[in-house]
Amino acid sequence: MSTPKVKVALADHSDRNRLPKADFRSCAVLAVYKVAALVPPLLPPFRFFFDLAQLNPKSQGFCLNVVGMMINGEISVLAGLNDGDGKDSVKFSIERENRHSKRLGFDEFAQAIARIAVAQICEGLGFQSFQQSALDSLADVGVRYIREIGKVASSYANLGNRSECNVFDVIQGLEVLNSVQGFSGFSDVAHSLSGSGVVRDIVRYVGKAEEIPFAYLIPDFPVVKERKLNPSFAETGESPPDDHIPSWLPKYPNPETYLNLDSKNEKEVKITVDKEVQEVENQREVERPLMNLQQKLICNGSELGFEQRAAESNPFLAPPLRPEEKEVSLPILSFKLLDEAVGHHQNHVIDENHVSRANEVATNGTCEDEDKCKILSNGRPNIHFKFRNGKKNLGRMETSPRVECIEKLSLWFGDGYDGKDEKKRILWQNMEYPPELPHL
Amino acid sequence: MNGQSSHQQQNDGRHDDDAALTDFLASLMDYTPTIPDELVEHYLAKSGFQCPDVRLTRLVAVATQKFIADVATDALHQCKARQSSIIKDKRDKQQKDKRLILTMEDLSKALGEYGVNVKHQEYYADSPSAGLDPASRDD
Repeated sequence: MSTPKVKVALADHSDRNRLPKADFRSCAVLAVYKVAALVPPLLPPFRFFFDLAQLNPKSQGFCLNVVGMMINGEISVLAGLNDGDGKDSVKFSIERENRHSKRLGFDEFAQAIARIAVAQICEGLGFQSFQQSALDSLADVGVRYIREIGKVASSYANLGNRSECNVFDVIQGLEVLNSVQGFSGFSDVAHSLSGSGVVRDIVRYVGKAEEIPFAYLIPDFPVVKERKLNPSFAETGESPPDDHIPSWLPKYPNPETYLNLDSKNEKEVKITVDKEVQEVENQREVERPLMNLQQKLICNGSELGFEQRAAESNPFLAPPLRPEEKEVSLPILSFKLLDEAVGHHQNHVIDENHVSRANEVATNGTCEDEDKCKILSNGRPNIHFKFRNGKKNLGRMETSPRVECIEKLSLWFGDGYDGKDEKKRILWQNMEYPPELPHL
Repeated sequence: MNGQSSHQQQNDGRHDDDAALTDFLASLMDYTPTIPDELVEHYLAKSGFQCPDVRLTRLVAVATQKFIADVATDALHQCKARQSSIIKDKRDKQQKDKRLILTMEDLSKALGEYGVNVKHQEYYADSPSAGLDPASRDD
């Protein structure tokens, strides 16, 4: 069941932020879960979201997305949910990582430089400020202008059977681009390029305009990494092992790296193929319920030496307890909530059950040794749920805004408070004139 | 005879033009355009333009700079014209509106003259206080 690809990747990238990307995107839930079990700091949040995904089909998409982002390193690994403040830490780390993972897009450096240059030109003309969108558009238009000149000039050079451009190609390009505006001498078909009106305009502009050098020093870009090739036979002075191999080809790698593999080759291929087939089957089983999945993982987890060793040092890595093996305090629901839930929505109750089950699993799931359990369970406060009914009652629509406001007020006074009495009392207090109620 | 002299004249003119062009290109060696060479080279290389001559790069840079400056000047005029019309209406807001801000509205009008049709993105939210003084932003 274990996926060899994943294991190799983890061996290479022990740093969680550098987990390989493309492989995992398409990975099945099971495989992802497996990875989660292998990487110690990922475990609690992973488990939480997986349990949530399994128990609540509505939130499944979101939870799996979160897990995918965790694997890609887009979200940092959470501090753990046992501080009782899981939700906040989730949110925080997503925000923080979004800022970090904002990578420079393609060509963004050049665009930024163009923006600065255009801003400088505008400043020189007398503009004091700009809208960001206007500056972006003008910079973009300027960049397109450069590229268009280059395109036309190189096509004229190619027309003249040259690969390198010269001044006249560039001037022709400028003429093409300025033909929308027109320039002096444009009507003359046979005008000389060197005396073109475009060039004269530019000369005039250069003479007139203030010279504003660019504000920053720019390194040469784009940076092209030089590839380091393996030395060829000729370079190392060796002669190729066979006559048919020319000496300019790269030489063979060290013989130790490939000689020993021959004998096992067929077997290993078969094993890996089997594993891959199994992996595909596992992917199909993704939608099975969580408990089934977890039991399988428990069986598999014990096979791995790596996990066992890690489990001794890390309580998160220990195989999870089975349900009812350990007593855990149930989440305490407020009475009001219970009443409301029974009274109003059947769905509500189901949702609560889901969440509480998810939490049970999360609490159950992580410890093996007794004392470690204590540390964990002691560090975790009881979970209190506070729900509020988001939907308004139909009856409320007919009440006046003032009463509604007071109703909101009454929420501040806790669960056992009788809202109606309070409502009336505040109503009387706040009104300058006594209300037109029959019993007053 | 006549034809020959005119031909001569044309030739002279052409020589003058050539000399002027050569001089201009040579003067570009000392001139640093606002648009940096590296940027122009980068984009020219992308469009298939091949030339090791710095003077040509500078020529393109200067031409682009002129183009942008022309567009920006037009936008500046639009901006000033708009402001003067507003000031006629509301003299009390004079101080606040006097800042010259490059806005998308002016820019799209100016670019329209050059054959570039740009419209302000309909749902693009530039912050309304963009370009204003930090002091006036609080008002």
